[in-house]
Order: sequence, then C-alpha cells, then structure tokens
Amino acid sequence: MNKVLQDSYQTYRPRPFKKDERENVTLLFGGLTWRAERALVGLFEGAGYKAESLPPATRSDLLFGRSLVDVGQCCPTAFTTGNLARTLKDKADKIGPDRVADEYVFVTAGACGACRFGQYHYSYELALRNIGMEAFRLFLVEQHEIDQSKDDDEGFQTDTHLLLGAILSVMMTDVIQDLEYQIRPYEVEFGATDAAIKKAVEDIYDAVRNRPQNKGKLGTILWHLTTDHYAKALRKAKSHFEGIKLDRLRIKPKVKITGEFYVSTVEGDANHSIHAWLEQEGAEVLPAPVAVWFDYLMRFARRKQQDRIGIHKGARKKQLMIELARRLYRGRYHSLCKALGDIPRHLPDQNELARLAQPFYDNRLNGGEGDLLVGKALYAHLHKVAHMVCELSPYGCLPNTMSIGAMAAAQGKYPDLLYAPLEIKGDSEVHVISRCQMVLTEAKARARSEFDAALKAAGLTLEEARARYEAHPEMHDPFWQVPKRGAVGTAANVVLELGGASL
Amino acid sequence: MTLLTFPKLFAKPRSAEVVRPERKLRIGIPRVLNMWSTHRFWTTFFVELGVNRRSVVYSSETSEARQREFGQGRAAVDCCYPVKCMTGHYGELLHGLKKPINVLFSPKITTLPSILQGEVRNTMSCPRVLAGAESTKAGFLREGNAFADAGVIYVDPVVHLDEPKLAARELFEALDPVLEDLTPEEVEAAIEAGFAALEEFDTSLRKQSLNVLRNCAADSRPAVLALGRPYHMDPGIGHGIATELQEAGYPVLWGQYLPLEEDLLDWLYRDLLSAGRIRTPFDISDIWPSSHSSNTNELLWAARYASLMPWIACVIRFSSYECGMDQPTYTPVQETVEALGTLFFAFQDLDATNPAGSVRIRVETIDYYLKRRAQKIIEQKLAALDTPPESFSNLGSIKDAAQ
Ligand code: SF4
Ligand code: SF4
Repeated sequence: MNKVLQDSYQTYRPRPFKKDERENVTLLFGGLTWRAERALVGLFEGAGYKAESLPPATRSDLLFGRSLVDVGQCCPTAFTTGNLARTLKDKADKIGPDRVADEYVFVTAGACGACRFGQYHYSYELALRNIGMEAFRLFLVEQHEIDQSKDDDEGFQTDTHLLLGAILSVMMTDVIQDLEYQIRPYEVEFGATDAAIKKAVEDIYDAVRNRPQNKGKLGTILWHLTTDHYAKALRKAKSHFEGIKLDRLRIKPKVKITGEFYVSTVEGDANHSIHAWLEQEGAEVLPAPVAVWFDYLMRFARRKQQDRIGIHKGARKKQLMIELARRLYRGRYHSLCKALGDIPRHLPDQNELARLAQPFYDNRLNGGEGDLLVGKALYAHLHKVAHMVCELSPYGCLPNTMSIGAMAAAQGKYPDLLYAPLEIKGDSEVHVISRCQMVLTEAKARARSEFDAALKAAGLTLEEARARYEAHPEMHDPFWQVPKRGAVGTAANVVLELGGASL
Repeated sequence: MTLLTFPKLFAKPRSAEVVRPERKLRIGIPRVLNMWSTHRFWTTFFVELGVNRRSVVYSSETSEARQREFGQGRAAVDCCYPVKCMTGHYGELLHGLKKPINVLFSPKITTLPSILQGEVRNTMSCPRVLAGAESTKAGFLREGNAFADAGVIYVDPVVHLDEPKLAARELFEALDPVLEDLTPEEVEAAIEAGFAALEEFDTSLRKQSLNVLRNCAADSRPAVLALGRPYHMDPGIGHGIATELQEAGYPVLWGQYLPLEEDLLDWLYRDLLSAGRIRTPFDISDIWPSSHSSNTNELLWAARYASLMPWIACVIRFSSYECGMDQPTYTPVQETVEALGTLFFAFQDLDATNPAGSVRIRVETIDYYLKRRAQKIIEQKLAALDTPPESFSNLGSIKDAAQ
C-alpha cells in the first residue's frame, strides 16, 4: 500500500453487525433511568434482540472515563465512557475480550448537533482503543433520522415500529416516575412506594415486550396512535400503588429538577443522587421527564420550518406536519397520564416556555436544551409549580453554561425566583450538596410560611386541619387529585381545600 | 516573502460606487468569536446599508487590561476564555469609545458559510459561540439595563449565514426598528455585497498562502500551519504565538486560508481519492463523520491538508481554556497531522494569563525541532506524494532531490 494511505488516520469503523448474529449478540445500552432502561430491554427483546442495560454509572466510572480519553470532557461524557469501558472490561475478565467483541454490541443515540452529545462516540472509540478492545462494535442511532431500516441483512434495525415503541416506553416510564415522586414523600408506610414502583415497571416491561409485531410503517403509526395496549399496562401498574396511605399534610417544598439531559434524568452518582437526597431532606421532587425534551425538539423543528416559509419549498407543509405530530405526541402522553388517574403532571405548554424564555435566550438557538431550561425555570416560578428550581449543569457543558449565564438576567427580573444552578463534576459532592442545601433552606421557609398563610386563609388551626384531614379518607388516597387553590405546596393546597379557601 | 498579518484582517474594505441612503448611526460590533472570520461581511453589509464606513466600529483586540477595565463583574458564568472575554468587548463599546455608538450589534451567528458546505453534515457554530451573546447580555442586564443607560440600542439577531435568504429575513427583522425606511430589498443587496467582499478577502488571503508555499517550495524551506478557531488570530486569545514564530523566521499560514487551487488539491489528495477513501478533496467523512460544527470541520480538514502538504513541516494547535468543542478532536487532529511525519505542537488551555516566557520557550523548542527535522520531513512527504502540479513549476528538482 502506498505511504499516504497506509499512514493516514482514519476514524473507527465497526465491523458490521449482521442479522444472523442476532441470536448470539447482546445489545448494550444505557444513560437513562432504571425504569426506562428496563422498559427498553423489554422493547428490544420483543423485537427479537438480546438486550442488557449498562449498570448505573458510578464515581469510579467517572474517574476511569477521565483516564481513558482526552482531558476536558463534559462530565456526562466521562461518566458514560467510563461506564461502558468498565462494563466491557468486567465482561472481558470473565469471558475474554474476543468473545465480548463477538457477543456484545453497544448502541447509543448521537448527533444532536454541535455539542459533544453528537461526538460521544469519539470518546468511546478512544476508550475502546485504550482498553485494547478496538474490535468491539458500537453504533449510533441518529435522532433526526427516524427510520433507519437499512438493508435486510443489517443486525440492528431501527425502524418506525421500534422507534415508536421506544418513545412510548419512555413516556410510560416518565408518567410512572412522576406518580412515584408525588407519592413517596407522603407515604405513611415507609418503603411502600418503592415496592410498588418495582412491580409497576415490570408490568411496563411485559407490555412493551409483548406488544404486537411490526405492521408496516403506516400500520404501526396507526396502531401506536389508537391502541389501548400501553394504557392498559399502566392501569395494571396503577393497581400496585392503590392502597398506599398518604399523609398529605407534611409540609414540603416542591423542588423542580431541570438541567442537562443526562445529569438531570439519571438517579445516582452521576448527579450525587440529588433526587434521593432532596427527598431525604424533606422535599417533594418534580423529576425531569424525558418526554418534555422530545416535545421541545419538535417545537424547535417546527420553528425551523416556520422561519423558512416562503424561502424553502414545502416549509409550511412540514411545519404543519411537525405540529400535527407534536399534538398527537402530547395527546398520547396525556392519555397515559389519564391511565394513572391523571395524577402525573401534563407536559408544559412549549409555546409558553418559548415565550417566557425569549427575552433571555432566543428559542432559535440550538444545542443541548436550548431555551428550555430558562423557560422551565420561569414557568415553574410564575405558574406556581415549584418553590425552587434546581438546575443540574455538568461541568464543561457547552450549552448549559450559556443558559445559566442567561438566567442572571432572568433572576434580575424575577428576584423572587429560587434558583439553584449546581455544577456537577461528579467528584465534588460536598460542594454541590451544600450549595443546594442553602437554597433548599429558603425553599423550606417559603413552604412553611405558605402553609401558615393557607391555615389562616382556611380559618383553621393545625389540629383542626389534621382532624378534618383524618375525616376525609379519600384525601389519603394516592389517586386523589390535590386541588390547585393558589398555593405551590401540596400540604398548603390540602389545607385550603379543607377550609374551602384559596390563596 | 508575503506573510499574513493580523491587522489586515479587520482593515476596512473598499467602498462600492453606488448611491445609497445615508444613515447617520454608529454601529459598534464586538471583535469576538466568529467575527474574526466574517467581519468583512459585516462591515460591507452596513456600509451598503448607508452607514458611513468610519461609523462601523469594532472593539479592540482582547487584552487583559481591557478585560479588567470594561468587563469586570459582568461575567454571568464561568466558561471558555473566548466567550468570557466578550464582557470586556461589550463594556468597551458601551463605555470606552471616544465617540459613542448608537447600536451595539452582536449577531448570534448560528451557521457559517464554509468551503466544506455540501460535504459535511452541517456548518453550525459552537453552542457557546451562538449563545455567548445571551450570557454576556445577561451580565449587563442583571442590575438595571446598562445598554439603555449608555443610550445604546442592543441588537443581537440570530443569523444563519449559510442560508443567505433566511439571513436577509433575520437581519431585516432585527434592523428594521433601528434603521429608518429599511427595505427587505436593501438588506438582500447588502447581504450579497457582504458575501462578495468576504469571498474576495478570503481569496486574497488564500492567494497569499499559495505564494508563501511556492516560495517555501522554491527554497525548500518549512512553513508552519496555525490550527485553531478563527478567534485564535486575536493576539489576546491566541497569545501572539503565531507572531513569535514568524519573528523566528517561519512563515505561518492559518488553516482558514489555505490555497484551494484545483491542481494542487488533486495532487495532495490523489491517493485518498483513488482509493475511495474520500469523494472529493473536501470530504472529511473518513476522519470526522460527526461533521456538524463548522469550525471543527475546517480544523480537521486543515489538519489533513497540513499532513499532506510537504512544505508544512509543523502544525501548532491552539485550544482555549475549557473549550468543549476541541476536546474530542485532540486525538483525531494529532494523529491526522502526524501521519506522514509532520511535527505537531499543541498549545492547550490558553486563557487570560499571557505566559510570554513559556511561549518563548515553546517557540524555541519548535525552532529547534524544525531546524533539525524540517528538511527530512519535506523530503519524506514529497516522496509519499506523486509528481507535484504545474502550478508549483519549480518543484520538480526538489522532488528529484528527495528521491
Ligand atoms: S449538553 Fe453539555 S453535558 Fe450534554 S453532551 Fe452536550 S456538552 Fe456534554
Ligand atoms: S469552540 Fe471552544 S473556545 Fe470556542 S466558544 Fe466553543 S467552547 Fe468556547
């Protein structure tokens, strides 16, 4: 071979994964909550693959990831790279690297644009090289190419049926997680919610695994739009929570979690288990549903077309199609909420999020979460969704630093907004927690004074409120709707309901 | 020998002989980020819209002193150095000019025109480049409105420079409230003139680079390629490392302005093309398939160009402190450059402190290696390539000598 060709660098290209290998090859994937990962295992198994989610990323994965790739990664890159490399090494120790390369492949999402999310695989490739496993195969699923079913011989087919199933799986685990987080802080019997959620996720897994086989592109779209299959699974999952008794008079600040996709959705070392820590500290946590981000991506795509009407042929039509898809998507999500007694919160209005954020962060800027974080923080504050917003920002993140910067102006305009931007490095837990603690203390004080104001408005003493609450067993039920009576906190709204008052 | 020098970059373009409405406004533009590769466009654009050429003013080059004087206390967040410096540029435009401006114009350039357009997935700006204006603005708005206090209108449109029609719409919407009687047609014409000026400017710099390489070939001398983002040409961001190397006697080319003569590209890329590794000389899919970011794409493209071009014996790589976009490129860039033996030196984590001493030591090291190895590298690279093209007419003897 001539010297130029022989010596010039070429990017990693995995050897193909063929259809006839499927029986012996396990798909590895990760980076989501354990609920969503379990549902996706079901999805892949139902589609005829063997599948396994990576174990939760730990702090030692972070350090391992950092040691394997070039310095300066954002912390989600370091966590996920280290996590994959550690898993492969563990497997290689048991069965040898050659068998790992033959019997496992890794699939991940990629290419959301110019931030590093689209470039994760460079880190993965370098890590594979540095652990001596270059023969291992990893594949990217591109977000913007919905249907990537290539030739029939392809081992991994991301067709419409699989992708819609993945979306529905994520939606289901989002709504069940939202339910879980509304119940656990108030459960009378400690551990009852955790026991229920485990069973519920298994029901979701079963439903996804046993959904009907592919009916062709149009057929699968229609089926996913009309089927009761998923809602039925959630109704079954709901039964595990029924009967859990709640004490909704516990005064708790509501803390909305936002931030970069990875660190705000996972629950573990990657964000110092901030969800669990907040609950332990007496907060009611509003987790970040993945579905909001998908909704945002569609809103962004719609805006893109809207801006090009009259310039690009077909832009108006595309805009309408995207908006139609977005509405159907939201409709599906809300029908799943209904299956859980409409307790899970609905998706926020994206147009409102964009409107609120626009003076501070232009909604045409992409990368990461774009204007979404500014919008969510203001929405939570102005619509009385939460007492405090906790924004998880990975160290070294490109877009997130900018939206945190933009929040300075938003805070100038809304000085009452309790906002805790937390830089997540993965190895600075004390710093993160103490910073969060400071803002949480203020949030607790607000929840307390709001509760006192509610008692006053309701004309009740605490004892009277308690007595009335005990006399209303339906209010102890997890599927009782807490009315919105002008307060943010659950306990305050319950008191207002008991006294027939509003704030 | 003609060398590229920084002051030329922001020199005013020639004005076209057309009648246009006169608009008596002073426009201040921060000399930051992708302004370093698109300023010709912007100056011409405003001149075409009737703003006096002397009334289109840029902030100064980045410097620690200016940052201290005008930017202190304004940064809303800690991030990469080029974006952090924006506060100093804004502050200078608001408070540091003898003749005050009326408009602070800070476009959020979302996509860029690029020689690689059509060959790559996208030509986007880094998320921080495009949102830097939002974060910087916040620092001037959190306690009152510093723009209004200075009597300045702040205009920061999103602009897709890779889509001229869309850019025209975006710029018309943004400037209509500021420039009286503005029409969409005027904006479209100004955009066209802006792109023509930008192209003319880029072409002239590429020509200069070609001459530099020709001269190097004639004398069998090495040139150095500066590989960085456009704003590393700012001495305050790139710490004048390129200038130091020039002073040490090495012609420095920038990756943004490499010659694109067809026969030259055919010569350099012949093997890769005929082996089917690439479809065209501008194809980088074999070394950088996630080609979304414009400056990153061009960085990888220039890295390969340098790896092949015999007289580029050395590449110096610039990276700013906390640059997230550069991080995944470190290994691919280095391995690409070094393929045929080209020397590679990286200046990483460049930030506020201007380590003049250490830069000098590094430059001395580069000088040492170039003195010892350059000839060998040139010969080695020539031997790996086929016969040089006609445009390098005097290269035959060098090639023969190498063989
Ligand atoms: S959004 Fe931020 S943290 Fe997430 S991949 Fe991109 S740069 Fe990394
Ligand atoms: S490319 Fe790097 S230095 Fe430039 S703005 Fe982006 S993160 Fe900052």
